[in-house]
Amino acid sequence: MSYLEYSVQTVPSGFRKILFLNWPLILLLCAVAGIGFLMLYSVAGGSLSPWAEPQMKRFAFGLFLMFSIGMVPIWFWRNVAGLAYGVSLLLLLFVKYFGVTGMGAQRWIDLGFMRLQPSELTKITLVMLLAAYYDWLSVEKTSRPVWVAIPLAIIFLPTLLVLSQPDLGTSILLTAGGGLMMFLAGVHWLYFAVVIILGAVTIYGIFASRGTDWQLLKDYQYRRIDTFIDPANDPLGAGYHITQSKIALGSGGWSGRGYMQGTQSRLNFLPEKHTDFIFTTLAEEFGFVGAFSLLALYGLILFFCITSALKNRDRFGSLVTLGVAATFFLFFAINMSMVMGLAPVVGVPLPLVSWGGSAMLVLMVAFGLVQSAHVHRPRGKR
Amino acid sequence: MIRTPLRPLARILSARQKGENPDVIERENIRLRHEGMRDASRQCAEGRLLVLGAVFVFAFMTVGLRMAVLASTDPVEPRTTASGTSIIAQRGDIVDRNGRILATNFITNSLYAQPPIMIDKAGAARELARIFPDLDESSLLKTFNSSRKFLWVKRKISPEQQQLVHDIGDPGLLFGPREMRLYPNGRLAAHVLGGSSFGREGVNSAEVVGVAGVEKTFDDYLRDPATGREPLRLSLDITIQTAAERVLSGGMKLMNARGASSVLMDVKTGEVISLVSLPDFDPNTRPAPLTKGVASDSPLFNRAVQGVYELGSVFKIFTAAQAIDANLVNAGTMVDIRGPLKWGKYKIRDFHDYGKQLTVADVVVKSSNIGAARLAQMIGAEQQQDFLNSLGLLAATPVEMVEAHGAKPLTPKNWSEISAMTISYGHGLSVSPMHLAAAYASIVNGGTKVTPTLLKSTTPAPIPGPRVISAETSRVARQMLRAVVIDGTASFGEVQGYAVGGKTGTADKPKEQGGGYHEDKVIATFASIFPAHDPRYVLVVTLDEPVETSGKDPRRTAGWTAVPVAAEMIRRMAPLLGLRPAIEPSSQDRLTLTSN
Repeated sequence: MSYLEYSVQTVPSGFRKILFLNWPLILLLCAVAGIGFLMLYSVAGGSLSPWAEPQMKRFAFGLFLMFSIGMVPIWFWRNVAGLAYGVSLLLLLFVKYFGVTGMGAQRWIDLGFMRLQPSELTKITLVMLLAAYYDWLSVEKTSRPVWVAIPLAIIFLPTLLVLSQPDLGTSILLTAGGGLMMFLAGVHWLYFAVVIILGAVTIYGIFASRGTDWQLLKDYQYRRIDTFIDPANDPLGAGYHITQSKIALGSGGWSGRGYMQGTQSRLNFLPEKHTDFIFTTLAEEFGFVGAFSLLALYGLILFFCITSALKNRDRFGSLVTLGVAATFFLFFAINMSMVMGLAPVVGVPLPLVSWGGSAMLVLMVAFGLVQSAHVHRPRGKR
Repeated sequence: MIRTPLRPLARILSARQKGENPDVIERENIRLRHEGMRDASRQCAEGRLLVLGAVFVFAFMTVGLRMAVLASTDPVEPRTTASGTSIIAQRGDIVDRNGRILATNFITNSLYAQPPIMIDKAGAARELARIFPDLDESSLLKTFNSSRKFLWVKRKISPEQQQLVHDIGDPGLLFGPREMRLYPNGRLAAHVLGGSSFGREGVNSAEVVGVAGVEKTFDDYLRDPATGREPLRLSLDITIQTAAERVLSGGMKLMNARGASSVLMDVKTGEVISLVSLPDFDPNTRPAPLTKGVASDSPLFNRAVQGVYELGSVFKIFTAAQAIDANLVNAGTMVDIRGPLKWGKYKIRDFHDYGKQLTVADVVVKSSNIGAARLAQMIGAEQQQDFLNSLGLLAATPVEMVEAHGAKPLTPKNWSEISAMTISYGHGLSVSPMHLAAAYASIVNGGTKVTPTLLKSTTPAPIPGPRVISAETSRVARQMLRAVVIDGTASFGEVQGYAVGGKTGTADKPKEQGGGYHEDKVIATFASIFPAHDPRYVLVVTLDEPVETSGKDPRRTAGWTAVPVAAEMIRRMAPLLGLRPAIEPSSQDRLTLTSN
């Protein structure tokens, strides 16, 4: 469906657009980020440095980015989707050969003022390109094998590059996010059934290959899986994070120990306390009530994205909104399950709360696209 | 789906007939078509969205439920069954005869680092350098940044240090439980215990091996898990040992001696109740052996067991006892002591001139070298050798210390008559104080051989060894020893109520280089028994180069140096040993002695 079909005149223009932004969504984002600041302040032992203050600055910059992107008509973003995807692929290739190595993986490009993580950027560009693709593709072709193969290639190209960094968490996010996009675009059920069966076979293969010459994963990845299955067998080694975070969640109880009273996180039991495992601090200090409130905020963000997508009769805008929502969902669902021992430990941050520049800016850019789609949605009678 | 033609010709033709623009109809038709398609895809999309929503809700419920479950359970601390904790505290304790701890184990921790999993290497190095001032921050950081996967930071750390390191919070700094040998009494009985060090080391445990003393002798026993951590029970008594060390240490300083040793032995069982060698050391921090100079100058050197000396006149009692036992003489037989006694190129002199002749008893009491030599001539060299051998004076003592095996007595190459004559008063044969104590015990306990031991006897009554002299000879020997204290060379040895007997020995020290003896360096020995009428204990006190300077001339003889020190030791130890002061039934004995 072409954007030319709807009346451009009904779309607000100029600064009037601000009034038509999805304001409830913005407020929810601010609330979640606010919780993040509180927690970073707490894990630093009641200090703005080293985490809370830079995080606030980044969020402010992110808000600015979101507004700027939201002001630009959505069809512009649709037209540049292919370009953006190409650039992010190039960056991934670049980081593979020239990137900064950190914590055993090549993930960053050092830009001087910040470290850019192209794999984060890819999360948006992939959503954009898939949305543009299905916007361009006529509905009846959606499920034909050739037209299914193309988006699969679009998904797997960056995924393989990210996997080679190696970054298991992001590659899972990319594949799952892309898969959800295809599902929402209406690809036939049978394809997903086949994929699920293949996935089961792969998991079997991963375990069967362990210890053989054609071992599919690295040893540390196997250990993480082992640890996930039984964290107690190595409480001081690879199971340390999970065990400690479970303790934190348990000791928080229903109402928590009180702000800045968490022992597990503040006494340095958790090395990643300000990044991937920040949720444990929240759960310990505010208990079930606090943790569930954050979950509810995330749920509301998803709700507003989905209603916005439903209202939107532009296929690209709708798909982008849903894709962003799906990615966001995957972020916090994987992170929370990991922290609570429902999923193996993969490096996925808690969106908008964990300390980290790339992830937050990328999410704000993504929500900028959601705002743009919301503001520039086709109006008027059908 | 019913295919409708792109251009509905029927409508267009009818419209043309009416004169209307058919394009409008065509556009309207296309619009309707598109809307139909859109509705279809929308329906599909909404269906998919519904499924997605269901997935979201399911995920929310799962996460929320899990949260609730975790929140409602009590936090379970991780089980601290790290591998290795079960194997620590293996080495058995060492206790004294009353079960008081001499050596035990202390669970401490070693600190090691695994640089690959360290978070903040610079911070960790800085903090470690602050906690352990002997570590260097920059060199630590260098090793952390090197490619090493493992390094020891500290082998032993205290609980306080462990807490401080724990507070750094770096997961790359790890602790390994470590069994450490602890000697809670410090220097007490240092030479007996010896010491220990680490053998093979692992992350979670380290082998503790004995390096000296009973720790080494009984290393296999102490490490044997089959003993069920049954402690090694020594014959030592901490109380007596403490008193002996205190008094001997004070006496050594008073007498300006370089070193001192004492052995207190039960005369019937041979159990060593206390064994002191000064200077001593702390087995918890065992000093390094000397790299130059004489090994015997090191505090590690056990003078009582390792040191073999010519001990001098203390041997005269053996000579007299053998002569009496062989019925050559009795205590009252007169011996010609006119001197100097010439034998080839040798001359034997007495310290004082005691006249023309003395009884055998007085040869011992006054300590006449010539008298002893005359007795040795009567006995004969071969018989003397056999007798001293039966007392255990010619072989290393069997006492349970690794050091004892090396301390073999120095015997003359050719046991000639002149050797026999000098050995009769303690020259020409070097033995350790431990040898002497055991031999004295054998002489005075009724005449049965005593084997020295550091282990507490497990039999209810002592098992007598082979007979060396008759009970009657033993009784006479005791009387002679008592007389030495009453009116002989050891008059300072009298301790009211404990009937001390004994024999002094003052031997010139041989020169370290070349032959001959020092004029002004002596080994002063007092071999004592108490109570003399029914001896329970033998105490041998040896002072190395003592000088008593209270008089006009410096005095070095044992009567002025070793005897008062030994007397003070007996005065302090006898009540602790459970002996009550008693009036000795001595008068009749002395009457018999003189009447003979």
